[in-house]
Amino acid sequence: MKTNKILNISNDLRWQIGEGFHDKLTEGIYSDAATIAQNSVQKKGDAKRFRFDRSLDKIVTSKVWGFPIMILILSVVLWLTIIGANYPSGLLSDLLIGNIYPWLKTIGESIGFPWWLSGFLFDGVYLALAWVIAVMLPPMAIFFPLFTLLEDFGYLPRVAFNLDHLFKKSGAHGKQALTMSMGFGCNAAGVIATRIIDSPRERLIAIITNNFSLCNGRWPTQILIASIFIGALVPENFAGAISTFAVISIALLGIFFTFMVSLFLSKTMLKGEVSSFTLELPPYRPPRFWKTIYTSLIDRTLIVLWRACVFAAPAGAVIWLISNVFIGDSNIANWMIIHLDGFGILLGLNGVILLAYIVAIPANEIVIPTILMLTVMSASITGVGSGNGVMFELDSINATGEILKAGGWTLLTAINLMLFSLLHNPCSTTIYTIYKETKSVKWTTVASILPIILGFIVCFIVAQVWRILM
Amino acid sequence: MTNPVTSLIVFGIVVVLLFLLFYPKSGFYWRIKTSFKNDTKILIEDILKKLYHAEDNGNTLNSNDIINSLNSSPKKILETIAEMENKELISFENGDIKLNDLGMDYALRVIRVHRLWEKYLSEKTGFDKKDWHEIAEKMEHKLDSLQAKELAINLGNPRFDPHGDPIPTETGEVEPINGKPLPTFSEGTIGRIIHIEDEPEIIYKQILAEDLHIGSHIHIIENNEKRIIFHSEGEEFILAPIVANNITIFELQKEEISEENTFRLSKLKKNEHAKIIGISGECRGEIRRRLLDLGFVINTKIEVDLTSPMNNPRAYLVRDTSIAIRNEQAKFILIEKK
Amino acid sequence: MQKVTNSACEGCELNQASNLKKLGVNIEDNNYVVALAGNPNTGKSTVFNALTGLKQHTGNWPGKTVTRAEGGYRYNEKKYKLVDLPGTYSLLSTSQDEEVARNFILFGKPDVTIIVVDASRLERNLNLVLQILEITDKAVLCLNLMDEAKRLEIEIDDRTLARDLGIPVVPTSARSKEGIPELLKIVHQVATGEIKCKPHRIKNVPKNINNAIEKLRLEIEKEYPNVPNSRWIALRLLDGDERIIEAVKTGEFITE
Repeated sequence: MKTNKILNISNDLRWQIGEGFHDKLTEGIYSDAATIAQNSVQKKGDAKRFRFDRSLDKIVTSKVWGFPIMILILSVVLWLTIIGANYPSGLLSDLLIGNIYPWLKTIGESIGFPWWLSGFLFDGVYLALAWVIAVMLPPMAIFFPLFTLLEDFGYLPRVAFNLDHLFKKSGAHGKQALTMSMGFGCNAAGVIATRIIDSPRERLIAIITNNFSLCNGRWPTQILIASIFIGALVPENFAGAISTFAVISIALLGIFFTFMVSLFLSKTMLKGEVSSFTLELPPYRPPRFWKTIYTSLIDRTLIVLWRACVFAAPAGAVIWLISNVFIGDSNIANWMIIHLDGFGILLGLNGVILLAYIVAIPANEIVIPTILMLTVMSASITGVGSGNGVMFELDSINATGEILKAGGWTLLTAINLMLFSLLHNPCSTTIYTIYKETKSVKWTTVASILPIILGFIVCFIVAQVWRILM
Repeated sequence: MTNPVTSLIVFGIVVVLLFLLFYPKSGFYWRIKTSFKNDTKILIEDILKKLYHAEDNGNTLNSNDIINSLNSSPKKILETIAEMENKELISFENGDIKLNDLGMDYALRVIRVHRLWEKYLSEKTGFDKKDWHEIAEKMEHKLDSLQAKELAINLGNPRFDPHGDPIPTETGEVEPINGKPLPTFSEGTIGRIIHIEDEPEIIYKQILAEDLHIGSHIHIIENNEKRIIFHSEGEEFILAPIVANNITIFELQKEEISEENTFRLSKLKKNEHAKIIGISGECRGEIRRRLLDLGFVINTKIEVDLTSPMNNPRAYLVRDTSIAIRNEQAKFILIEKK
Repeated sequence: MQKVTNSACEGCELNQASNLKKLGVNIEDNNYVVALAGNPNTGKSTVFNALTGLKQHTGNWPGKTVTRAEGGYRYNEKKYKLVDLPGTYSLLSTSQDEEVARNFILFGKPDVTIIVVDASRLERNLNLVLQILEITDKAVLCLNLMDEAKRLEIEIDDRTLARDLGIPVVPTSARSKEGIPELLKIVHQVATGEIKCKPHRIKNVPKNINNAIEKLRLEIEKEYPNVPNSRWIALRLLDGDERIIEAVKTGEFITE
């Protein structure tokens, strides 16, 4: 074989040259580059970087101001996202669920759809889609452009620079600070963003731990449950403050778990993977506002939304089916709830919650509507909801609280739900994305199973301790 | 509902059991797993290695020496030695064990795999230096010579392992090391570290803790029975002779000495200007390539640009661009201050 | 005579098309394929947008475009397909994005490669430029961010640079679309063969290494006379690049 001959010669030559081939080659290229550049480049000033960049960098990486500025900016971005999304979310849900949904049902009736077909299509598939779009689109449409503006301006590399030391202590990479923040918007997007991490070990760590960033789909759940159960513990004046505090604590707990799990992985499963940190701090460049907003909508928001929809539609169908297919006297959902209840109670949750998390794997957004529907169904509450398999949400927080309490919820259930919402398997969009990024079944499995095991353990311990103390 | 106290206790027991089973190395699961291995082969290879190293240092070993230096039971060792004599790997001479040609070949093959694997660990993985030896000790019994050849080609047929030991070639040739132990040199000598012995582990770990690198130039300041003081890369080191004995030095002639003003990049202060004079040989594989790609190349001017709030990493101005690297990497980049 | 050249050319077109398809680029209906390479933070994606008008996101952050972005434009009645490669500092390491960029230039054989560099940091950027010029000889240097260079009081003699590098050099400020019409024109001229490039080859390598490279290069040329970048392949073999060793085994790079 002639190719073998070439390879054999090359192997011999490599042995003759010994080490340092790469070094010598790179040195050669750079010295060529220097000669060429000398011939054609003339520097009049001696400025190596813009004065503006230098002064700005001195501030954003300073010992005093570095961290406060970072925390301030991240809080503002999250605040704008959560608050700003409320109004368009409401509008969308009015439109998609308040108006189009009844209209579709009427049309179905007038064409003469059998009940099961219109139930399957409209109550199942359509409602799930509508919910995902209404809850997911507005926050992402706010969060991603803001994030992208910071990215284009050049601020984000400085964040990685500031935080690297903290992340390094848990065996992770400074740039994980960014993918983690991105995860507060959407874990799937956070996982994609780990491409910026050029060190294989740290990238895997960032992918596996991204789920511990509380994503947009989970913030509303946290806020709702916190205001029903935790806000009610204190006088009304403090209710807002204390429930906000509870939600922030959960998010911080998520960051704590990110560090702990990173440390665990780097000491065990990922021991021996190559690790390095190099980062260019590029010059600041003013972002082009409208263009950024437009492109980040197209690039990030719509792609992620599309993936979520693809997964949500079948979930809607499943939710409707398990509530409407009967085996004997009981539908599948009730049957599963009864069987899951024992384990659920052991964890300080209940069967409804576990079932909701099983069927709502595709999107965290539909967890609360599913829980409400299942609670009403299994506890046979009358007067609310619109039937088996039809997800719903109520405008009034108090009324929602009443339903949950009727379903047997206590303060412990609420706290554990908040914990479990943080610590459970990633949504199927994220799992799919992890697989696409790692191309490895092993790591996808680890990333999916690890958080839920943690969730079980944490909820279990909290429940037992609570029961002993209370 | 189950009693919370009972369930917590059950949970605790399960956790403890899992720990006992799977705790790295000493867990029952791993112990059982290793005890099933074919250990005669491993023992033969370990004995051959002992004999080779002894002969290399001009010493001889008898059966008792081998029993004392290995962990297996004396009975097992004696059986194995007998078996080795049968296979004509070794022969006895006045009670001392000698390697036959066959045994010598075998020993070199094992050593070749060991050193290749250490090279592999240093180039392609992120395992810590202090773990290399132990992992290679296991791998040396697993690879056959065909696999070793493939590995060698993959690594570009290296001549030396990361400790500076020569890797025997396929045909069993070994390059000599042209150096002598550090304590044999007199005060004032200037030399280069060409080898750091990784056994025994206690001394190796001490050397690692001192952060000495192969390829570094050293200047001996003081040398007596109590201690040896020398300068390297802008820092002063004090070692006990027994530790220093495991470092091999190649003496340099006056004209070869370029760097008296050498420092590590991590020691560069703000507003100081410097020139890169090289990347330490301790920095290998992907990390080394990345640094080179980013322009950390010989004769490049460099200065500190920014320091992060926790002092690590720092950003350096290299070829008109601000590049941040960790201090752990910066210490491998050697500079000359202006 | 006419017929012979025609069929030979058809053969090569076909070959190239099949290779490109494997890399996931569809070139049907396009007359030319143009690759866009460059360091991170050189405004490469801005150049891409300025050329195609497509609203692809421009990232001020290394490693943004790991998957290739594609777009197209028309110039002088010809259709061009533009492929935006990930921004890399080099093609010598083995990171994921470098491999994407390297494989496309080597195996995809674009008709023209536009190399975008930051004019204010030319010397550093030339590292990548010189590597690309070892692989392909149909390249255009896009000297971008001229506005920033001006603000830093850096002047560049683009003619000398073009002479030294042996490829056309076009100064641009892609943000304000300055120099883009000239870039389109030059790319067209290189694609059609109106301009012939004589790219610079890396010179400053130690003698023993250069000898090894030459020895291996001759060997490769002996076996595969039509390989245009034999020297680069020799370089990579000596550096132990597994992907290239694989390619030599399968004969993948021989598509002339």
